[in-house]
Amino acid sequence: MKRLLLLAAASATALGVTAAKAEPLKIGIIESLSGAQTSTGRLYANAVEYGVNQINKAGGFNGEPVQVTEYDNAGGAPEAADKFRQAVADGVDIIFQGASSAIAGQLTEDVRKHNIRNPDSKVLFINLGGEAMELTGEKCQFYHFRFTTTAPMRVNALVNAMKAAGDLGTKVYSINQNYSWGQDMQKAVEDAADKGGYKIVGQVLHDVNKIQDFAPFVARIKAANPDTVFTGNWSNDLLLLMKATGDAGLDVTFATAFLDQPGNIANAGKTALGDYIANNYDNSATDGKFAEAYKSATGHYPVFVEGNSALALAQLQQALKTLDFRGGKIDVTKIALALEDSTYDSPVGPISVRKADHQTIRPVVVSKVVKNPKYPADGTDMGFQTVKIVPGDQAIYPVQSSCHMKRPKE
Amino acid sequence: MEFAIISTLNGVTYGLLLFMVSAGLTLIFGMMGVLNFAHASFYMLGAYVAYAVSSVLGFWGGLAVAPVVVGIVGMLIERFLLPRVHAHGHAHELLLTFGLALIIQELIKLFFGDFPVSYQMPGALRFSAFTIFGSDYPFYRLFIGGVAVVMFALLWLLLTRTRTGIVVRAAERLPAMAEALGHNIPVVFMAVFGTGAALAGLAGAVAGAFYPTNPNMGLELGVIVFVVVVVGGLGSLKGSLVASLLIGLFSSFAVGLDWSLASLFGLVGLGDWARAIGGLMTLKLSSISATIPFALMLLVLLVRPAGLMGERN
Repeated sequence: MKRLLLLAAASATALGVTAAKAEPLKIGIIESLSGAQTSTGRLYANAVEYGVNQINKAGGFNGEPVQVTEYDNAGGAPEAADKFRQAVADGVDIIFQGASSAIAGQLTEDVRKHNIRNPDSKVLFINLGGEAMELTGEKCQFYHFRFTTTAPMRVNALVNAMKAAGDLGTKVYSINQNYSWGQDMQKAVEDAADKGGYKIVGQVLHDVNKIQDFAPFVARIKAANPDTVFTGNWSNDLLLLMKATGDAGLDVTFATAFLDQPGNIANAGKTALGDYIANNYDNSATDGKFAEAYKSATGHYPVFVEGNSALALAQLQQALKTLDFRGGKIDVTKIALALEDSTYDSPVGPISVRKADHQTIRPVVVSKVVKNPKYPADGTDMGFQTVKIVPGDQAIYPVQSSCHMKRPKE
Repeated sequence: MEFAIISTLNGVTYGLLLFMVSAGLTLIFGMMGVLNFAHASFYMLGAYVAYAVSSVLGFWGGLAVAPVVVGIVGMLIERFLLPRVHAHGHAHELLLTFGLALIIQELIKLFFGDFPVSYQMPGALRFSAFTIFGSDYPFYRLFIGGVAVVMFALLWLLLTRTRTGIVVRAAERLPAMAEALGHNIPVVFMAVFGTGAALAGLAGAVAGAFYPTNPNMGLELGVIVFVVVVVGGLGSLKGSLVASLLIGLFSSFAVGLDWSLASLFGLVGLGDWARAIGGLMTLKLSSISATIPFALMLLVLLVRPAGLMGERN
């Protein structure tokens, strides 16, 4: 009993001490950490944690180390909504998510509603990978920031770089997954046809991650006889498509968005050589300083989405430096405003936020799969070699007319 | 013609792969009445075991060890886990195996990581069997099909032409009687479950080298395998074979056909009107090819609730 009393007294003192301390900035990662999309979700979480560690090494924020908590949404939007409520209960100020557009759609709506209902404890949502156009279109809102590209940015950059390298050809096939992202990709490929000087010889949308056998699709592609195949497919849908193409001995160049997902190059093998990817970041596009720093902290070079996610945190760090709450209450709106004004000189070029829809204006890196690159992928002798970095102002697309953002009163 | 021949080839080989995975499931359900949700996890387990073993014993070694290991896992589950819930009926068995499926998936991720592993077929099998209309036809697809056909033949002979088959069928039909005649029924059931699991393991070891081996391969195939078993008739091996081939062919042909409801209306001159409506009218068959098996299942359940070759009970 005495012991218990002592414990109670001790915790009371501890509580008192915490209350006297400054309010820490709390970050929540609501990510797919179990279920089918773990492979992607884990990487986002890794990168956010790396970024937070960097902030804390530099002294944290508001006189306290930044706190980071992982919430597993198991890959589903309902679970994500659940975890968002939990994060709010834990007092989280900024949430991060990247693995799914559908979940990003859920979270941005949840954040918007929460902020209307709780003007004193607002939450900011930094979207690291949800590329659906509607997130900066119909669903655009002040407390959502997108720190990644979208379909038109990727396609325009691919067309631009591949044409310059003479690898585009004049006949293009587009195969994509039948949901918002795939449809955005298909539309972007259609829209870029005139500028790229190519003809679309065929296009098809298919179910998402349900198809085991891509041989019939390859037969269709073969019949259309394209030079280049554009695809926004990710995960198995990309891998199976490329494997089936390789098995059929079909000689086409793939223009992809997610070829750098770990495991892809090893599994696709030689078929992948000469294929292109447009993404936010590639180690070979930089002087390597950031890659080495990341490696010394985590044990590996940044792969797939880790690079651009860690850079988003670095941009947040830069924005936070302009703020000083003097150990008092953290004002999320001020953080959002500071983020809007920030321009971060990333290793691949400057990244800034477009105020009208909170899409980042960012460079798009176009790379090609080559033999013996500087940074080999998946333990093979193949990897990515950057062909061109398309600067942000050339890659960006106009603000969608569907975006009506309500700004907070300043 | 080119389209028809290529689609048929692709459809048949894919169908045979489906059969290879669903054969074990059918066996287990037909003989024991256990709906095993973890079956596709056995398939995945087989691929991963083969991958791990193949780095030491080579591809063929992996192919031989995987079914044995998965079979043993299956037998352990049948011996130690299923009896505990058996008394509570089918729903509990289903829940147990469903939980197992989730656990196996997360365990695989713990040991092998979240990403696809590089489990490759040996170079000696990586050649094209023949060239058809200008595109190579990989030999390995034929190999998968061949393994499935051999598997079907052996199972069929085992169940209908041997003493073991008679005992197994007797144990299924009249367990008390078979037991009275001196047969050890629990051991028979354990062996059946183990064999079913081993078949899935073999399928995984064979197919994992062609399709990527990743922690999601069980989930992706799991649902479709159930569709095969339901369409074919729960417990009917022949039904499973027919259903697998049907689903393979349907999916394969659907991909190549850009039919939509609008084009159907176009036949009677209402095409433009239908296209103007959009939505469901312009949805192309190719974009929903993976949904076709489910439509087929719906149709079969409506017309023949016991499945194509299932026995009404």
